[in-house]
Amino acid sequence: MPVITVYINGQKISTESGVTILEVCKANNIPMLTLCHLKGLHDIGACRLCLVEIEGVNRLLSGCTTQVADNMMIRTDTDRIKRYQRITVELFFAERNHVCAVCVANGNCELQQAGYAVGLDHIRYPFLYPECNVDTSHPWFVMDHNRCIMCTRCVRVCTQVEGAGNWGVMNRGHDVRIISDFNTPWGESSTCTDCGKCVHACPTGAIWPKAVAQGQLTKYPEMIGELVEKRKLLQ
Amino acid sequence: MDKPAAKKILISPVTRIEGHAKITIALKDNGEVDQAQFHVNEFRGFEKFCEGRMYTEMPTITPRICGICPVSHTIASVKACEMIQGIQPTYTANLLRRLMHIGQNISSHALSFFHLSSPDFLLGYDSDPASRNIIGLAEKFPDVALKGIRLRKFGQEISERITGKKIHAMGIVPGGMSYPLTIDNQQALMQWIPEALDAVQTGIRIIKDFHAANADMINSFATSPTMYLGTVGPHGEHELYDGLLRFVDAEGNVLQDQLSPTRYLEFIAERAVEWSYLKYPYYKPLGIEKGIYRVGPLARLNVADRMKTPLAQAEFLQFRALGNGQPVHGTFFYHYARLIETLAGVEEAAMYLQDPEVTGTHLQTFGRWNNATGIGASEAPRGTLFHHYETDDSGKLTMVNLLIATGQNNPSMNRSITDVARQYVHGAEVAEGMLNRVESAIRCYDPCLSCSTHAMGKMPMQIDIVNAGGEVLRSLQR
Repeated sequence: MPVITVYINGQKISTESGVTILEVCKANNIPMLTLCHLKGLHDIGACRLCLVEIEGVNRLLSGCTTQVADNMMIRTDTDRIKRYQRITVELFFAERNHVCAVCVANGNCELQQAGYAVGLDHIRYPFLYPECNVDTSHPWFVMDHNRCIMCTRCVRVCTQVEGAGNWGVMNRGHDVRIISDFNTPWGESSTCTDCGKCVHACPTGAIWPKAVAQGQLTKYPEMIGELVEKRKLLQ
Repeated sequence: MDKPAAKKILISPVTRIEGHAKITIALKDNGEVDQAQFHVNEFRGFEKFCEGRMYTEMPTITPRICGICPVSHTIASVKACEMIQGIQPTYTANLLRRLMHIGQNISSHALSFFHLSSPDFLLGYDSDPASRNIIGLAEKFPDVALKGIRLRKFGQEISERITGKKIHAMGIVPGGMSYPLTIDNQQALMQWIPEALDAVQTGIRIIKDFHAANADMINSFATSPTMYLGTVGPHGEHELYDGLLRFVDAEGNVLQDQLSPTRYLEFIAERAVEWSYLKYPYYKPLGIEKGIYRVGPLARLNVADRMKTPLAQAEFLQFRALGNGQPVHGTFFYHYARLIETLAGVEEAAMYLQDPEVTGTHLQTFGRWNNATGIGASEAPRGTLFHHYETDDSGKLTMVNLLIATGQNNPSMNRSITDVARQYVHGAEVAEGMLNRVESAIRCYDPCLSCSTHAMGKMPMQIDIVNAGGEVLRSLQR
């Protein structure tokens, strides 16, 4: 790949072409907020937290799905970006029923960490309080739609890494839901292999093992990227 | 000719309690008290919105009912979960849970006595209500106020030293505990013991001095006899964490002993009343009228045969002597009983902290859903607390029943305020200090209304005087 030059927050960086802005930022220790990104999975730009400003482009773009180009002038730290990140995180909290105090992922949740990162001290939007199912039918795991942010990391890990394709997406807008098979209870799925990768991939307390209590949840999302790398070595 | 309107006194809000409530005093035509009613006017619906959650989440959700006694809720909850799973906690986990529970009891009892009640004893029932509180106490008796505040801090620090948090601690989980007690934290807690003992003994001196100086009032203050319910150990000893139930009647006869909390529905029934969100529980075999029982420190000391530690045992003997072989019915003695329990708590904390296993690391056993029903109990600061869960075969809750200590004292609280109102209120034009005595009858029980109705609590409470037609003649509100 040819080497190109980009400028991120005024810093001159040489990088390969064909990589994303997020990858360049990570390689150069430039902080970038993410939720739907998980190493090892294809990026889809769903959460809109890794927003960047690019000179000559009027709208904000997601860093995880935008490839760098030679002499691209990129900013990741403007007030406009911070304002939109905060709005986005607030909308995550307002959209479903997130109660950190009683959540199994309290203290170990990427949404909670995003809240801290954007300085979330209150939510300015009315809570929707949707009625959400808690699917406890699986013998080992729980899927709590109250805490789902529709990042689809579970869907992608199940399809792209495990190859099972148990998880999918149903409906649109407020009614959008993660579903198991053709919207059957998870415990009745004919495709789930019980591997637990979705548990580790989930950034919040939406998918969690029945065996743990608050304060005991340990997720290891990095495992997904490591698995993908190991499999490449075996091929 | 129209009958002259009878009158009512309304005390609203009742102050220096945990929760929001009011008292209505109904006067007869001649101005004497007919009846007093204690209304809890907030509702939260915890039992209902827990339905549909996994049972394993309950030890995290239910302590949020109350910031005063979250550990008691967690312990009742994990016991219910352990019944569902069919497992037992480890020895070290039991020690740590006992310490956590003792810490919370010390903290709650210190709050009740020093912060909420002692202003009446040290500043006077008739003193200016604006300064009849912990701030006024700190101005006139700074050493007493400081001791009370420090004692409460000790209780909370036990939780912090074990789990990292003073209130709503994580770490008490089905099967045991998540966190060990380090040796540094064990030693730091041991250093508190002499100071904590001194603080409790100061409180005991205050209440005994008040008893001696006000014997007539104390011995006639809301003394209607009731039954009592409390938890006892295998030898009848005072127990807060892990014993079985004992009911005694008003004469002290043991009606039920070594009763598993899982059988609570055989012996306790509840009825709703239209004027309060707080239900009326009663001892089922004797029915609504005769089955009034009390829980809490007074009840626990009335049902127990002995205390586990020497200083508390010496006070316990003095306490029981007050009853001349019968249960101590005087509601005012709740304060004394509370302090004896606090003394026992400090002594027991020292005992458990010196157990070589307290810093052990075998903290948890593990299980999964095995039984549909889980019932757990613990002795909360205000009395026996029951958690009852029913689940489907995936572990999802289909029914939740939380029977709270303050709820069980509700019939007695109504009886006590009626007793006190009849004694001190004569006509609608009564002095504020007289109404404070009516409030203080409630304060004896240290009711936690947020818990008992699972209602979001505000501190104030009011007393209203109203006539039979509902017209408010006088309202006391601060």
